[in-house]
Amino acid sequence: MTSNAAVPFWRAAGMTYITYSNLCANLVRQCLKEPYRSEALNREKVHFSISKWAEGKPEKPTIRSDTPE
Amino acid sequence: MAMATLRREGKRIAAPLISHHPDNPLRSSVTSSEEHEVLGVRSISTQVVRNRMKSVRNIQKITKAMKMVAASKLRAIQTRAENSRGLWQPFIALLGDTPSVDVKKNVIITISSDKGLCGGINSTAVKISRGLHKLNSGPEKESKYVILGEKAKAQLVRDSKKEIELSITELQKNPLNYTQVAVLADDILKNVEFDALRIVYNKFHSVVSFMPTTSTVLSPEVVEREAEAGGKLGELDSYEIEGGETKSEVLQNLSEFQFSCVLFNAVLENACSEQGARMSAMDSSSRNAGDMLDRLTLTYNRTRQASITTELIEIISGASALEG
Repeated sequence: MTSNAAVPFWRAAGMTYITYSNLCANLVRQCLKEPYRSEALNREKVHFSISKWAEGKPEKPTIRSDTPE
Repeated sequence: MAMATLRREGKRIAAPLISHHPDNPLRSSVTSSEEHEVLGVRSISTQVVRNRMKSVRNIQKITKAMKMVAASKLRAIQTRAENSRGLWQPFIALLGDTPSVDVKKNVIITISSDKGLCGGINSTAVKISRGLHKLNSGPEKESKYVILGEKAKAQLVRDSKKEIELSITELQKNPLNYTQVAVLADDILKNVEFDALRIVYNKFHSVVSFMPTTSTVLSPEVVEREAEAGGKLGELDSYEIEGGETKSEVLQNLSEFQFSCVLFNAVLENACSEQGARMSAMDSSSRNAGDMLDRLTLTYNRTRQASITTELIEIISGASALEG
């Protein structure tokens, strides 16, 4: 950060704007009434596997998922 | 291959007719056909063609089914992809698109599919990424790859595995949604250092046409530098910023959010192109299977008829020889 002003609290906590806005969006979703609430929450499922590469070799992939296998 | 076997068999059937014994033609033809029965040449070679026809018919059924599946998936995803275009258009209006920007640290994000059988969309994406890599490499510059999907990974591992930074797969297990892509974008932002992110994907135009496209997302420092240099980005100063945030803060938030939005759109567009390409690939392959089936049926019937005719001739000529 190049700014001299106080950074927002969420950035000080190590979040990016994306995480912050996602948290906010999730809060808004939780404020919906049923049945729309569960519908909206079910729609946004996260699942992917990501692996870092070092020296031309993939490391062990980590799976980012919010649904238990 | 089946044709060759058939032709060979045709010669064998014709052979006893040529080398017939003048004194007892009936017996000679009967014994030679018995020999064929023993060898099993005649029955097997038509069976080869029959089996081939069966397998071609099964493949045709499978490709037809895949085409149907791709068509229904395409319909679902097409509207979402078209709607998601509204997410990045404001960013283009505000920040402009600068594919030709010259920076030190380039990260090329290649988007491909996890599954194959979808024509050439993955190899076009890889080709464009390689071109971008070549364009942006040089002394004091570096380009890295971030790869989405199995197929581009398999192609890029071959020649540039040293430059791969991250690879992401299994993205399409659940239907694509913004939260997922945002978490992914967050992971990418945290794990790579960049001055410019270049996203390579296939933009969906229609079921049969996709444009390989790059979108560029600049880091906030580069945006500021470019804004001072003037041009489209120079107009940024004419916007009034509300609240106590400074310009660099706003720019950082903006570029992070721009990245997740552009990535979301790119992933959707690519998934849409994938289904479209799969649909047309499966359509042409079931058509080819149909053509092949027609040809095989024709040869099969012709050979069968030829052997029947030969047998009839043998019987009739034998009978007339006995009468005379």
